[in-house]
Amino acid sequence: MAFVELDGLRFHVQRLGPTDGRPPAATAVLLHGLLTDSLASYYFTLAPALAAAGVEVLMYDQRGHGRSGRPPSGYRLERFVEDAVGLLDRLTGDGPVHLVGNSFGGTVAFGLALRRPSRIAGILAIESEPASAGWATKLDGILRRAETELSDETTLAWVTARRGAHTARLARAAGRLLDTTTVARDIPASLLPAEAQLRTVRCPVLAVYGSESDLADQATWLEELLPDCRSTFVPGQEHSVLIEAPDTVLGLTLAWLRRHGAALRGPGARAGRDLVEEGLR
Amino acid sequence: MTGSAQTAHLRPPTEPEVLAEITGMLAVVLDEYGLDEAEVTMDARFTEDLGLESIDLVTLAGQLQERWGDRINFAEFLAAMELDEIIGLTVGRLVEHVVARLQPAERG
Repeated sequence: MAFVELDGLRFHVQRLGPTDGRPPAATAVLLHGLLTDSLASYYFTLAPALAAAGVEVLMYDQRGHGRSGRPPSGYRLERFVEDAVGLLDRLTGDGPVHLVGNSFGGTVAFGLALRRPSRIAGILAIESEPASAGWATKLDGILRRAETELSDETTLAWVTARRGAHTARLARAAGRLLDTTTVARDIPASLLPAEAQLRTVRCPVLAVYGSESDLADQATWLEELLPDCRSTFVPGQEHSVLIEAPDTVLGLTLAWLRRHGAALRGPGARAGRDLVEEGLR
Repeated sequence: MTGSAQTAHLRPPTEPEVLAEITGMLAVVLDEYGLDEAEVTMDARFTEDLGLESIDLVTLAGQLQERWGDRINFAEFLAAMELDEIIGLTVGRLVEHVVARLQPAERG
């Protein structure tokens, strides 16, 4: 396990690289979501296959999550973005980097693209969106509800019955994050980029949605806002696309990287071809 | 390295030996929550019975690699499974995987 310290805070970092000893075909930084998420969501899904396709993969636990440090306060979006900037500068070279962001991790990815535009080759945003006033209001509602529900034993018992003990355990851990930090107050108070700023995100963006997710309704708005954004919808899925349909997300990611110039190898050199034809045209 | 240690390396470990080592690793992973080592049997499930979260499995993956090197790629082992399989994964299945991977490569 590797730890990197930034401004006194410890970050848990995992890297998986090409196993064939050749130089990487691309570099990807994978950003996880809020509360119940950690780098484990990538470590056991996309990361090993990306590494086998020749991609240098960098994952880290965001502040307060997984094995990274959990300060009592300091959870506005701009702090998460600052962490991403610091780790990008410290752990990757000068070359282009592809970002994959799940949910809130995608919101951080858009923030990072605003801060380091020349370094970001593309963003694959899974069930995600850039920060906006609407985003802040929605997150405020979600976090307030989570604060009440995740400390309520009746709700947790319901989660155990419906979704299993592991989900309930993740929910309980998220409840501890909410109880011991200011994250629920900080996120809605984040500095928000103006739409004019977001229009300057010129790197290609692929927005992946679950077809049944509420977020899918925003696809057109995001495509019109960003200079180079296309959308694809995973049938039958809601918000947890990465966890529920990892093979589809992997195929999309490999196809997306190839499309943007990565000479992938191994099975990844061909995977997801049909997805390119359907969704990435 | 002493002669006996070399001998131990020449012989691939048995299931009870690997189980004992993995039990030790789990005690480290679950340090802050505590682990009743008697609970770690071949039938115990990592998440449902032992209380591991997915991030704990990442830590365990690192320990497996530290101990046995690149022959044990826990991330790839799990990435090949469906989510339900990962959640239901037993200690025994990992022990068997490790023992199988540590067998000397077949010659021929």
